[in-house]
Amino acid sequence: MKRRTLMKTSVALAVSVSALTSAVWADNPVLKIGFVGVTSGPAAAWGISNQRSMEARADWINEAGGYKIGDTTYDIEIVSFDDQKDPKRAIAGMEKMAQEGIHYVVGPNVDDGAAAVRPVAEAQGIMYFPYAFPKELYTAPASNAVLGMVANYQSGPAIYKYLRDEKGVKTVAFVAANESDPLSQRDGGVAAANELGLEVVSDNVTYQVDTTDFTPVLTPVMRTQPDLLVLSGVSPANAPQLIRSARELGYQGLISTETAQDATVLREGAGELANGFISVGGASTPEIASDDMKEFVDRYTKMFGEYNDESNTKVYALEYILATLNANPAAIDNVDEFQKTMDTFEAPNPFMKGDAKLRYVGTSSFGQKRQIAVPLVVNVYQDGAFETLFVAEVD
Amino acid sequence: MEQIIANGIYLGAQYAMIALGLTLIFALMNVLNFAHGQMYVLGGFVTYTFYGQLGWPFVLALLASCITLAILGALIEKFLFAPVIRRSSREESTMLLAAGLAFLFDAVILLVFGEKQRGVPKIINGVFNWDFRLIMPYDRILICALAILSIVGFILFMQYSKTGRALRALAQDRTAAQLMGVNVDRYSMIGFALGAMLAGLVGGLLVTITGVNLGMGGPTSIKAFMMVMIGGAGVISGAIAGGIILGFLEAIGLAVLSQYGDITYLLIFVSLMIFLAIRPQGLMGKPWG
Amino acid sequence: MPKLNTFQWAGLAAFLFAVFFAVPAFVAASGRTDLYYTLTSVALLSIASAGVWLTFYIGRINIGQGAFALIGAYASAILVTKAGMSFWLSLPLAGLFAAGVAILIGLPILRLRGVYFAMISLVLTQVVTLTALALPITNGAKGITSIPLPGAVSVFGLTLIPDFATLENPRLAFYYTACALMVITFAAMYRLVNSRLGHLCRSMQQNEELAASIGVNIAYIRIIVFAISSFLGGIGGAMFGSIAQSVYPSSFQVADSVNFMLNCFLGGLGYVFGPMLGTLVLYFGWDLLFELGRYQLLVYSGLLIILMLVLPNGLLSLRLGKGGGQGR
Repeated sequence: MKRRTLMKTSVALAVSVSALTSAVWADNPVLKIGFVGVTSGPAAAWGISNQRSMEARADWINEAGGYKIGDTTYDIEIVSFDDQKDPKRAIAGMEKMAQEGIHYVVGPNVDDGAAAVRPVAEAQGIMYFPYAFPKELYTAPASNAVLGMVANYQSGPAIYKYLRDEKGVKTVAFVAANESDPLSQRDGGVAAANELGLEVVSDNVTYQVDTTDFTPVLTPVMRTQPDLLVLSGVSPANAPQLIRSARELGYQGLISTETAQDATVLREGAGELANGFISVGGASTPEIASDDMKEFVDRYTKMFGEYNDESNTKVYALEYILATLNANPAAIDNVDEFQKTMDTFEAPNPFMKGDAKLRYVGTSSFGQKRQIAVPLVVNVYQDGAFETLFVAEVD
Repeated sequence: MEQIIANGIYLGAQYAMIALGLTLIFALMNVLNFAHGQMYVLGGFVTYTFYGQLGWPFVLALLASCITLAILGALIEKFLFAPVIRRSSREESTMLLAAGLAFLFDAVILLVFGEKQRGVPKIINGVFNWDFRLIMPYDRILICALAILSIVGFILFMQYSKTGRALRALAQDRTAAQLMGVNVDRYSMIGFALGAMLAGLVGGLLVTITGVNLGMGGPTSIKAFMMVMIGGAGVISGAIAGGIILGFLEAIGLAVLSQYGDITYLLIFVSLMIFLAIRPQGLMGKPWG
Repeated sequence: MPKLNTFQWAGLAAFLFAVFFAVPAFVAASGRTDLYYTLTSVALLSIASAGVWLTFYIGRINIGQGAFALIGAYASAILVTKAGMSFWLSLPLAGLFAAGVAILIGLPILRLRGVYFAMISLVLTQVVTLTALALPITNGAKGITSIPLPGAVSVFGLTLIPDFATLENPRLAFYYTACALMVITFAAMYRLVNSRLGHLCRSMQQNEELAASIGVNIAYIRIIVFAISSFLGGIGGAMFGSIAQSVYPSSFQVADSVNFMLNCFLGGLGYVFGPMLGTLVLYFGWDLLFELGRYQLLVYSGLLIILMLVLPNGLLSLRLGKGGGQGR
């Protein structure tokens, strides 16, 4: 029975392969941190910027001699799993992490994956840091997910409020891709805009994820002549095309989004038409970036040839995991300890100038501290680079 | 209204070009080329590299795309499709090969060109604006004209050149063409190269408007399949008709149905199914492909 | 009624032993508990692939199984969360619902053949995804989350299936369930292929007109086979929904439909057990290449192409014995 032998051989192979890699020689004991996300296919950009920021940071730590947790200094190893944006694969990835003895995982990148891995993570004692916004992931009884970024229902209101007060925005239009994440973000944005007393003039125009030509999509939106056009949950690939189409259709108002973007992509795709585009970013703009952040960008660029501005927001999760473990070494293989520490944890934020803190937040959104406090940095694109528009905090 | 027609023509012209390459390959070899969209993306990246990065003139970069893809297509036919077709007991086995190729291209594109969306400088600036009734940037008008020119050129080539006649004979009846003294192996290779070249050409043209990223391949293939279904598989005029019809359906649907969310595509899919139930061979296809 | 010879009986026994005893024993001994989910996935995906294979059997290239898996997943999830039904009852209902939809869709599109059917079926997955995004009952873009684990089933106070939520290791339970379903599916497939219906299918695969002319009701058989195929897709999808405890419009995508088709091609279209082997190889192939990091997809696709060059008729065309059972 060929089938059976084949199965056995593959199983044996799998075991030996994983045994081989775990025997990597190192001075320090190795602390493995996982990454489960999408690093191939259409959405590869999300996961790759994520994985690379983790690898760049881990490399930096190891070069500096390791990371001290309790009495032991660890080398950090990043174990990555490509889930191909398939929730079924994401579960397999989480199982793999458990098998490798990993308790802290960054990812998945999208809503469906984050929801699908929840049973595994909770059964196997894994804390995971998804980049997905559904509230039920973070509200009790869910216990093991920590939102790895600022959610759109937190950044949206801040941005709209700022634009209402400072730029006199009165009407808003929303456009979103016809896919789970962007649609949920659009609904959140509409609610926030209504609450602020803005008039939502168009909120039901959507586009296929694979659209390449947005002129027909935007034509009806432009008729409503909004003061602000919000591109809900827009992927970096689509943003420049949308901006370009809107401007070419004669749109004069503001354009914003609540996702992180990349300046190079905007410059190549939309050129000066992208000037004034408002997006959410991390702390790499010159006004607020600390020396550590600058070094991180340098190292990332050296390692991978080109920096991706999306990584500004993605450098944090790993830092939080390590800093929290440092605060409570018992958590290294015990997520209950980790969860206890989360309530009181506080450490300086190395990536931002000033006295910003790393701490867990989310009480007002989720009823428990299940979100990392990333500074809400709102950027505006100008001639190939981002400038900081304003910085806010999330609670 | 004027805007819808203009959008329709613009979309239709580019879609028709994508469908042409796919249908040509299908007509000649009965291969459903899943990797067609990836070839289109590759063409875009070649133009991006030469025009956007190295600063070559756009036309030369476009030519580079065509040549690269033509060579690639010829090699793929000679070393992959031809042997598999020869050895396989079922024609459909080539689908697995084509899907494998699509994965391979995705992987190569990711490794070579990276995961980011790429774009090139505009070839012409400025926007044609007729009193806000019809708005069309000049570069779109140019690309649309170039696409239509290429389609006309392709039809003339197929109609009047010796190669074109041989290819048509091959598409009509492989055995008969062979008996008439057409070198089937050679022309299969030429035809595949030509189909791949068309993909490269349209990729190079469109990179100036839409930019390019590695995720565009798969969805492009699916759209191309739909156009081929509308027009009829393996028929050149069908591919053109299918492309233009899909372009107009999209333009009209997005304009008229915008307030209902994204049901345009759902409706297109459903009407396609109903249409095919009534006319299984598409508008101009031979029955049963 | 197909007769199995001694050799085949031995093979079957060995297979059952491997699946239900050897693998769990191996996992327990080696501590590789992640294999449970991987093998559960293989079992469930091979059930759905078996459906695709069956449509190949009537000469239709089906690249739309993801659509029916998604329908099944949603049907089960809605029945469990909104109607409070037991998962075990919702499972066959999900399959039946998928089969019902397949009959409705199949009536027009099964008239198509060759690449036309292939291309239209490719569109089906997107149709279902878009529909799931648009409908209120599927909860649109937000998906259905927090689906409870399968509950207990007891007859006359005797617990047949324990409540999965109370189990120490629900993954093992899912593994057994998936394997049991897989064994039933392939036994039924084997039976079907060797039945009168199977012979009729084969005659249709070769020449529909000829089959029709000797009095085969081809329209009826086509629908029946397509419904069975989609039933299997629905079952596979519903099980996945239960394992992930969530269903999203993107739970099954076009890529899944393509993979189901590839599983069949890879295993070999002429062999009933082709889809099982194909799924195993493709799924494990990807997993084994995990260590290659960014070159994973490159090597995977390269191997796929080489495999196609060497064995264009599928892995089982290399068969060593004849224990696998043969379709034609």
